[in-house]
Amino acid sequence: MAAKPVPLQVLYCPVCSLPAEYCEYGPDFEKCKPWLIKNALHLYPDLVKEAAEKTAEQLEGMKVSPDAKTKGSTSESKPEEVKKLPGGKVKKKVRFDDSIHTMSIEEKPEVVVEKIVRNKRKCVTIIKGLEMFGVKLSDASKKLGKKFASGASVVKGPTEKEQIDVQGDIMYDIVEFITETWNNIPESAIYFVEEGRKVPAVG
Amino acid sequence: MFKKFTSEEISAQNQVKASVQRKIRQSISEEYPDLEPILEELLPKKSPLIVAKCQNHVNLVVVNNVPLFFNVRDGPYMPTLRLLHQYPDIMKKLRVDRGAIKFVLSGANIMCPGLTSAGGALDEDVPAEAPVAIMAEGKEHALAIGFTKMSAKDIKTINKGIGVDNMHYLNDGLWKTLHLD
Repeated sequence: MAAKPVPLQVLYCPVCSLPAEYCEYGPDFEKCKPWLIKNALHLYPDLVKEAAEKTAEQLEGMKVSPDAKTKGSTSESKPEEVKKLPGGKVKKKVRFDDSIHTMSIEEKPEVVVEKIVRNKRKCVTIIKGLEMFGVKLSDASKKLGKKFASGASVVKGPTEKEQIDVQGDIMYDIVEFITETWNNIPESAIYFVEEGRKVPAVG
Repeated sequence: MFKKFTSEEISAQNQVKASVQRKIRQSISEEYPDLEPILEELLPKKSPLIVAKCQNHVNLVVVNNVPLFFNVRDGPYMPTLRLLHQYPDIMKKLRVDRGAIKFVLSGANIMCPGLTSAGGALDEDVPAEAPVAIMAEGKEHALAIGFTKMSAKDIKTINKGIGVDNMHYLNDGLWKTLHLD
């Protein structure tokens, strides 16, 4: 065990997020096909024929006589993108920057307001996500503290994210306050957490 | 188990005490000795280790917002599939035949005949109640992580019913949870 095992790079399909070889069992094999033809042809050699037939049917701009030409062009572009190692392993960086991934990771900015009850009748209102609108949290906490005449502090959340804790229940007019103070935050981007579920503040 | 897992099912996320971190690290390295040299990279001592508690007594070990391991109650820690794909040799492997892939990928437990048939393969010295990687016939990567219900020998002799519980499979809720925040 002298050498460290090197992390293996697995080729994941950006469409269904599965490893390429499992696309055929994925939720939407049809949609994966174009990507597979480009990037993981060796796993599904039949796809080219299928695709060639299709293009021949549709004749989308390309006047290609089926099979031969399509096959040639795809296999030409292959070596650039996929390096096939001996053993049939595919060496390729996992592409996290693909649009689908970023969509799921980086959600649209929103402000989440949550109320946590402690000691039965005392509570703390937690406001998360203000920083996504370019609001300085320390300024915001000062403003909140002034407006509601209570303690308001910037606290590090469980996962390195900063949030503002305000003492007392201020759910009733937090929405108004946020939209008035920071004009770039629309009402529709503010959510309440009620019974563990996210509920839009308006509507 | 993670069929409908979403980040909303996490009831609490805590940065755990150093002693708990040590314990987690120890039990992982005991379970997967091959992982030890890279454990320091996976779970750096410096960066905070977060344990997310979810429903059904599931715990996720999260580092830098990425779930890496999970366990049930006080059971053994198991790597997530994304981690296993990077280090495929850390777990004992069982292989199922082609016909079973479809069912495993929709969350079914692994039945004995799928392991004993021609396309399947068994590692003889897998005991009962152990975490295993489920591979598939003709495929290179693991498709699920399971927890054996009987030992490999029993699977061969009894050849009936559930052999391995399916804990985590491709495209289930945990698979789709790339990041937690």
